[in-house]
Amino acid sequence: MAETTWLIIGIVCGLISIGFAVRLYFWVLKQDPGTEQAKKVASWIRQGAISYLKKLYRALLMLALVMAVLIAIVFGMGPEGPSHGFQMALAFLSGAFLSSIAGYMGMTIAVEANVRSATAAEKGLSPAFNVAFKAGAVLGLAMIGIGVVGMSTIYLLTGKAQIVLGFSFGASMLALLAKAGGGIYTKTADIAADLVGKVEVGIPEDDPRNPAVIADNVGDNVGDVAGMGADIFDSYVASAVAVMLLGTAISADLGAQYIIFPLILCTLGIISSLIGIQLVRVKPDGKPGVALNNGTIFTCLIFAVLASAFVLIFKYNIGVLWATLAGLVTGVVIGFTSDFFTGDDRPPVVETARVSGSGAAITIITGYSYGLISIVPSIIGIVIATLVSYYLAEAAGLSGVYGVGISAVGMLAVTGMIVSADAYGPIVDNARGIAEMAGMSQKVVETADILDAAGNTAKAITKGFAIGAAALTVLALFAAFASEMAAEGVQIKLSLLDPMVIAGVFLGAMTPPLFSALTMLSVTHNAFDMIEEIREQFRKDPGILAGTSEPDYNTCVTLAAQGALTSLILPAFLAILLPLIVGFVMGPEALGAFLGGAIFTGIIFALLMANAGGLWDNAKKYIESGFFGGKGSEAHKAGVVGDTVGDPFKDTAGPSLNTLITVMSLVSSLFAPIIAVFHLF
Amino acid sequence: MTVHLYLSLVPEALIASMLTPEQFGAYYAVGSEKKSHGQAIFFELDPDYRNDDLPIEAGLSRCVPHEDGEPKRSVYISVYRALEHISLDAIKKLYLVTQDGRVLGLDPSTELPAEEAGLHLYQEIAPVHPLVVSTLPPHEFYDLIVNSPASLLTLPAVCFVELRLGELAENPEYGAVGDLPYANIDHLRQCLVDLRTKTVSTKMVDRISPASFPYRTIKSGIFVGNKEQFLYFPLPSRDELRAKQYRWWRSANM
Repeated sequence: MAETTWLIIGIVCGLISIGFAVRLYFWVLKQDPGTEQAKKVASWIRQGAISYLKKLYRALLMLALVMAVLIAIVFGMGPEGPSHGFQMALAFLSGAFLSSIAGYMGMTIAVEANVRSATAAEKGLSPAFNVAFKAGAVLGLAMIGIGVVGMSTIYLLTGKAQIVLGFSFGASMLALLAKAGGGIYTKTADIAADLVGKVEVGIPEDDPRNPAVIADNVGDNVGDVAGMGADIFDSYVASAVAVMLLGTAISADLGAQYIIFPLILCTLGIISSLIGIQLVRVKPDGKPGVALNNGTIFTCLIFAVLASAFVLIFKYNIGVLWATLAGLVTGVVIGFTSDFFTGDDRPPVVETARVSGSGAAITIITGYSYGLISIVPSIIGIVIATLVSYYLAEAAGLSGVYGVGISAVGMLAVTGMIVSADAYGPIVDNARGIAEMAGMSQKVVETADILDAAGNTAKAITKGFAIGAAALTVLALFAAFASEMAAEGVQIKLSLLDPMVIAGVFLGAMTPPLFSALTMLSVTHNAFDMIEEIREQFRKDPGILAGTSEPDYNTCVTLAAQGALTSLILPAFLAILLPLIVGFVMGPEALGAFLGGAIFTGIIFALLMANAGGLWDNAKKYIESGFFGGKGSEAHKAGVVGDTVGDPFKDTAGPSLNTLITVMSLVSSLFAPIIAVFHLF
Repeated sequence: MTVHLYLSLVPEALIASMLTPEQFGAYYAVGSEKKSHGQAIFFELDPDYRNDDLPIEAGLSRCVPHEDGEPKRSVYISVYRALEHISLDAIKKLYLVTQDGRVLGLDPSTELPAEEAGLHLYQEIAPVHPLVVSTLPPHEFYDLIVNSPASLLTLPAVCFVELRLGELAENPEYGAVGDLPYANIDHLRQCLVDLRTKTVSTKMVDRISPASFPYRTIKSGIFVGNKEQFLYFPLPSRDELRAKQYRWWRSANM
């Protein structure tokens, strides 16, 4: 079949996916929103979340417009003329806009589904799970549908993979702001609410008397729904684009079908996710965590069968199949090894909980050490996937780096299911909070607890998956960067004997730790402001703690939103400007070395922070569940310290690093043709 | 406005107040400005109770509304040796208040808890508050402290709680600690072992133990006794508390 036909099939499948998402969206809205009090609490969360999104998108619009003008000017000055610059700018804006639409849909349904899931919990576990998971699937299906429709349409209209790179850069730009901003927001609110609420005035979590409780619940949505969704969408699009660029380089020998092959894989992934999502069911006395994991495994199996059948029927080079399967298996392995290091009753968590009886210092050292060890299986998985996909692709007569790129696409093809399971987490977390705040029955709270525990496991698996996918994606982007440079006659050969290369490696390696520090310092700085606000409210109105008057939730929501967005400016500029400065000043090879350094430390830091943070969180929960002294014991106090340290690790800095290295790689690839010509040294 | 009479146990004090038990508990735990937080345990007494050793009338006469009409929250009548002067007949109810001011009222029971084999852990609440392990069940422990003519150390009245020991009650050497939150668990084990290896029926675990304790560790309930009477205030089961007193239970389990 002609490439055009496949692109049209991709667009149709993408639209079907979006259609399913819209159908589920309205199905969720039709569910019972519950009592007046529940609706009131949910409306506070909804208003806070939508208000944050509006502020975020306003900031993005300003930045995107400035960037679009710059892109149009810079690329319009090239040999392909102003129309190329215009197309690139338009693709960039489309990427940012469509990514915003997916995030907005996910967020709006999440803040409607939380109260409906809590209300459905009165009827039992199964209905409550159904509402939460279907709402999560809205984001999953909308995201992959929008991604495939966007990429296929742009390629169909322009026939240039580089223009699709502009689309990917737009999506990544939003992802960086959404992920880092959401991460700062959510932990600012969480830490402030806990420190004043639990420690200073001694009120329980999710207590409506806490002025930061709504900001905390809003944070779950902006961090874990919009943020994580944007992060995976960014990798999803970037991996496909990187392979399209690599496919362009080999298309002269092997044919144009290898340029659009990643889009075909994404299309097969849509079909697999649509089927897999239908298979996720939980019985009245079943286990939601098992249902989510089974859904992921079924989706992977369906995708593996479809991809194999496609490659064999349409006689593609068998190397692409091996690379696809290598990526898919690695994604699953990385996801589930993350669960080993952060799972509730796994040895690392139990050991960290056990030693907590000796104080917070030992908790920190033990958790940090396991976080460092947790890097090993993921890195080995990435190494195996890279080598297997590279050499099997080479052996089959394909370019090895093309194989590496395909393995990233293979891993991300089931994004629809992964994101659905991930977005389910904050929805049930919120459902539990609403049940508490609205004084719903004990049965609802207990059901929400069961759903929430499954959400935490799904979240841990998704984080591992997102980091693994980002790692392979940036390796593919790195190859795409080298390929773009080669197209301009610059061969990237990195030698550690070259001082520019050494300088580039060091500067690149420095960037992820610096970015992590900036985002985590933003959390502590903003949390400090919010703590002052909460104390002030308690001081001014004693009725808040007595339960006779309502706190001012809105001020805390506004403080968290403004703080997060202001704090984003420096890290965002760092991500965009540093690679450009290195490239234009130090030259293409230094930029290649810079990317290499950033990719290596970025992946290691991301794995360490995500897993150590998750481990500390679950060690505290393990103690709270009745081990090593339970609540109120010395071990519990140490566990709380570990959890507080781990919060910005796992929800702010760690996950944002994926997006940082993707954005830096995209900026480098995008500007590679210009840097190849204009550089100081 | 009705004036109530409360006997606080942490610290030991007799207090007159115009607040209801729930309001008083919340006020006592977090303060009128809600700036502090801390557990409180108190009895509600018959407001007509009088004792020559306590200036109750004088205290009640001062318990009048503020000029702005606000109720008087507390007038301290006695902050020392109050419990020993209170007849247990005057006690109406016991209230357990969590650190953020959630109040649970307990009625006295006519039946004592069923005796179980194994060792016991008692937190004395008033008038002194050491942490003690014992081979004696609650009623005998009370007898030893208040009524034993052979004992050198006796108190005119005592209020104490039996705390859970879990597996340590039967197996102090090797029993699992589980969710017992006690500090210095090795010392606690040693004290329990000493009860079995030495000829003593009680042993002090901690002489400066704070009188507050996690409510979730209460084994059966709270006991109060003087020379004449012994009362038992059973704590409902965990399931019952979760089902009927969820807010209090959640706060108590922070």
